[in-house]
Amino acid sequence: MQDAYLVAGLRTAIGKAKKGGFRNTRSDDLAVTVIQELVRQVPGLEPRQVDDVIVGTAVPEAEQGLQMARWIALRSLGIEVPGVTINRYCGSGLEAIALASAKISSGMADCIVAGGAESMSLVPTMGWKTAPNYSLADEHAEYFLGMGLTAEEVAREYHITREESDAFAFQSHQRALAAMAAGYFGEEIVPVQVQEVTVEKDRRIARHYVVSTDEGPRSDTSMEALSKLPPVFRQEGQVTAGNSSQTSDGAAFVVLLSDAMVKKLNVKPWARLLTCVSAGVHPRIMGMGPVEAVPRALQRAGLKLHDVGIIELNEAFACQALAVMRSLDLDPDRVNPNGGAVALGHPLGCTGAILTLKAIREARRRKERYALVTACIGGGQGIAGIYEVFS
Amino acid sequence: MKRIIQRVAVLGAGVMGSRIACHFANIGVPVLLLDRPADAVPEMPDPAEQRNRLVNESLQAALRSKPSPLFTAKRSRFITTGNFSDDLPRIAECDWVIEAVVERAEVKSALYEQVERFRKPGTLISSNTSSIPIHLLAQGRSDDFQQHFCGTHFFNPPRYLRLLEIIPTPQTRADVVDFLMHYGDVFLGKETVRCKDTPAFIANRIGVYSVMHIFHLTEELGLTIDEVDFLTGPLIGRPKSATYRTADVIGLDTLANVARFVYASCPNDEARQRFVVPAWLDQLIGNQWLGDKSGQGFYRKEKQNGKTVYPSLDLPALQYSLKAKPAFATADAIRRAGNPGEALQCAVSGTDKAGEFYRRFFYGLFSYVSHRIPEISDELFWVDAAMNAGFGWQQGPFAAWDAIGLRRAVEGMQQEQYAPAPWVEDLLRQGHDSFYRWGNNAKQYYDVSVRSYRPVPGSESFLLLEDRSGHVVWRNSGCRLIDLGDGVVNLEWQTKMNTIGGEVLEGVNQAIALAERDFAGLVISNQGENFSAGANLALILMLAAEQDFDELERACRMFQQTSLRIRYSAVPVVIAPHQLTLGGGCEFTLHADAVVAAAETYMGLVEVGVGIIPAGGGTKELAVRAADAVEVGLPELPVLQRFFTLAAMGKVSTSALEAMEMGLLRQGVDRYCLNAKRLLAEAKHQVLELVRRGYTKPRPREDIRVPGRSVLAALFAGIEAMVFGRYASEHDRLIARKLAYVMCGGDLSVATPVSEQYLLDLEREAFLSLVTTRKSMERMQSILQTGKPLRN
Repeated sequence: MQDAYLVAGLRTAIGKAKKGGFRNTRSDDLAVTVIQELVRQVPGLEPRQVDDVIVGTAVPEAEQGLQMARWIALRSLGIEVPGVTINRYCGSGLEAIALASAKISSGMADCIVAGGAESMSLVPTMGWKTAPNYSLADEHAEYFLGMGLTAEEVAREYHITREESDAFAFQSHQRALAAMAAGYFGEEIVPVQVQEVTVEKDRRIARHYVVSTDEGPRSDTSMEALSKLPPVFRQEGQVTAGNSSQTSDGAAFVVLLSDAMVKKLNVKPWARLLTCVSAGVHPRIMGMGPVEAVPRALQRAGLKLHDVGIIELNEAFACQALAVMRSLDLDPDRVNPNGGAVALGHPLGCTGAILTLKAIREARRRKERYALVTACIGGGQGIAGIYEVFS
Repeated sequence: MKRIIQRVAVLGAGVMGSRIACHFANIGVPVLLLDRPADAVPEMPDPAEQRNRLVNESLQAALRSKPSPLFTAKRSRFITTGNFSDDLPRIAECDWVIEAVVERAEVKSALYEQVERFRKPGTLISSNTSSIPIHLLAQGRSDDFQQHFCGTHFFNPPRYLRLLEIIPTPQTRADVVDFLMHYGDVFLGKETVRCKDTPAFIANRIGVYSVMHIFHLTEELGLTIDEVDFLTGPLIGRPKSATYRTADVIGLDTLANVARFVYASCPNDEARQRFVVPAWLDQLIGNQWLGDKSGQGFYRKEKQNGKTVYPSLDLPALQYSLKAKPAFATADAIRRAGNPGEALQCAVSGTDKAGEFYRRFFYGLFSYVSHRIPEISDELFWVDAAMNAGFGWQQGPFAAWDAIGLRRAVEGMQQEQYAPAPWVEDLLRQGHDSFYRWGNNAKQYYDVSVRSYRPVPGSESFLLLEDRSGHVVWRNSGCRLIDLGDGVVNLEWQTKMNTIGGEVLEGVNQAIALAERDFAGLVISNQGENFSAGANLALILMLAAEQDFDELERACRMFQQTSLRIRYSAVPVVIAPHQLTLGGGCEFTLHADAVVAAAETYMGLVEVGVGIIPAGGGTKELAVRAADAVEVGLPELPVLQRFFTLAAMGKVSTSALEAMEMGLLRQGVDRYCLNAKRLLAEAKHQVLELVRRGYTKPRPREDIRVPGRSVLAALFAGIEAMVFGRYASEHDRLIARKLAYVMCGGDLSVATPVSEQYLLDLEREAFLSLVTTRKSMERMQSILQTGKPLRN
């Protein structure tokens, strides 16, 4: 067994789906931009030394189909470099890193680029052809509830009020804005040169512009504005556009190296993944997935909750995040100190990799040794990964 | 001179202007809608947007109003907005400029001066004024302007109110008048009525006389407001809002203003005193009790014990109170009458106070309209047409007079001290005894100027079933098959709400059999208020309550076979629906060889509301249309979902155009007709057209590719989301799942071609499993008893 180390990580800015800077940009293009810059940032690493590229994506079809990781690897690193696309929905980005870590640890590889990419602008969340299994849908149609309704179910079962959700959402924006103002995200974002061709008033317009700032956080939001939004999934429900994660576009990747490779290149490791586990819960309350996954991860890592200084908990929905925090008794000051998906956005399969970057960087800032990344997953799962961070 | 209207300008975006613009958008003509430029507001950065603020806000208000002025939301793309300062030059691109600004002559004149600067010679220019004499507005304008200038008086709301008054001046070119009369009728779907340029034109002159006459009669006979509304509503073929409710809607101040206007402008009107505003009406206006716009008028909306009630005003105390339902022996007699003519005869022969009221009301009205010929119109039929289209009177005054009996009414008038105009006496002296008659296969009217009968122009395009009641080929208790001539027959039914029961099913089958034997083709249409409210629910509920499965199954099968018969007949069957076309009425329509719908057709499969699925072939037909819309190889779900939702949500189109967007009408096969009065003639024409093209009986379908279980699973998931989102009840879920099952062809492993009969069997099975459930029966009961759907 050898250790696997994260030595670098980058992401695109998180674009607002359908209206933001990446609304016409494919996620494989975003991934290529990130990976090319990422490999440049590891001194001495030749693109062809990368053994594999693992790309997590939640809807691997249409623009994200054709086994997109292969084409990302080919374009960004060279024809000899292979790629594999994996899918664990919202856990995909973290799962990709876990697979990379496991492969290196078991001696199957020395250098892997892993992360996730998602365009929610171009590929619909349910895919273009939704075809659930009939016997399952016949007997358990509730397994296939939309995510918003699962959040309503969580809010009802865990007694989260609309006001609490809105307050959480407001705080997420405030924290994200503060982090942006402090320049916390600047170093991890690769500016993307967007090239798009559109037609306006019968004229073909080719536009070039750079996207380098997260588009989600709103400085003009307020408790009052949030409280006025109507529920969108359930009549007299509490889940609104304001207290849900935003739909987004983005790509994020890290480089993992074996011990030997770290020594050879003489780079300073950031962190290593101690463990990463997934667990199942009832699909109707999929948001509670982390409650099952986190204790199992702590146990495998031989740690207690209080050992973990930073927690990145994906905010699929404010009420869901609150219910998880209460059930696990998480310290609110350690959870998402720089805002979460409600403010910054949630590009599904990419999110696990974004949270990894946020967790490791914040732990380094705070000189914390352990950081936890966890997310709930549609279909009723949770994923939790624990990093040991080197300051 | 040939004219094509490719673009219209509407000047003034008030209530009328913006809605007139919307109606041109409805018929697909691009409109330029202009109003005054707005003052600068600093928070709007775009100067053009800033200056168009007034017109844009006004248009948005119109678009939001209910019922919508547009056939479908998409039609708003036909409207461009602008303002008088920046955009008047663009009227040079328009073929017709319609002015609808504030009713002040100097404002209109100043605007016309601007219009003259940019208007291309030959462009139509018209005013929507309701009160300013058209010839005064034309004064001072160029010759070309005056020759192309005319009054075009739309009624509010222009999409729904059928009357369009065309008022030429002596300078207006004849071809301009002819063009507007024709365009308004065929393109805009209006009843175009040619008026003389006299105060309040035709409809408002007679309408306001009628209202004021009734106001005075109320006082003179000591009747209550409730009694008068009871007597002047549907009982005698007038709208439900009758007299005083209508006044509340119009606004008491507006009404009084028109009355005063007529009084002042018509010094020689023999009934001028009837236009004097009663003191109590002035008092109401003084109190600001102006009707709906101020919350109270003749009626006031109140909540009592959680129920909304409408107490009416007591005259002369001017207090509101709830009153018992009015009862008159004459009213009972009217109700028992067999036809509208007999009903009016009963009305004027009553011996109670109601009879007295009717005599004075009708005889006064008859006298008044007879004296208006030739003052407001040379031809008497325009008066009837205007009152029918503008005020919803089933029979105009001359038609009503005929119904009572011309001679008999004249005798009655003499006893009540009302005198008919001398030309009426002259007509009687000539030995005639009606204003209208049939001659040479056409409807004729008595032309006062030549003292003889002439055909009502255009009546060949306005086929009326009532006029052809002498040509009944076959009938049963609910249906009549009428020969329309040229080898085409029409089946109509006249059941309550035009619902479909056993007699109608028999009628359709018999009509097709007879058409196959003796005629070229069949039209199914009627000229009642609605085409059909659906299947006869009372019958279904009765069988369901008795758990009579055999009879239910037989009835359902019969309905399905009748729908199939409509599709698979040896002669073309054209269905011409109008207004409500729901449930079974919609199912029949879906099976026609071609549909010619009225533009105002409100179509939908609403069966879920009564706890069942469409089972007269409607669900089958949705599956067929979905299958035909799916390209093999592409996902079926989005298309299936669209058609499934139509029935699962009981969606009803708000226009024929929307029915086309929804897929209930077929592009390129079905069409719609703007003027409902032309509907039957158009449908007949469509039958002949299908015959001419060489109609052959279609082959039953065996190639309907239903998607099977994958799509069914996705629909189940979608239904569950509706339940969890609390938009659907448990019973809704049961119904929706059955509906989805039929539409997907059941739980087939993969997409499979099936026959219509296969789908009909699934449809019938699903219907039978739902119809006897307690909750479905409760839903039917609720509709039957309260008219309101029950969500259980």
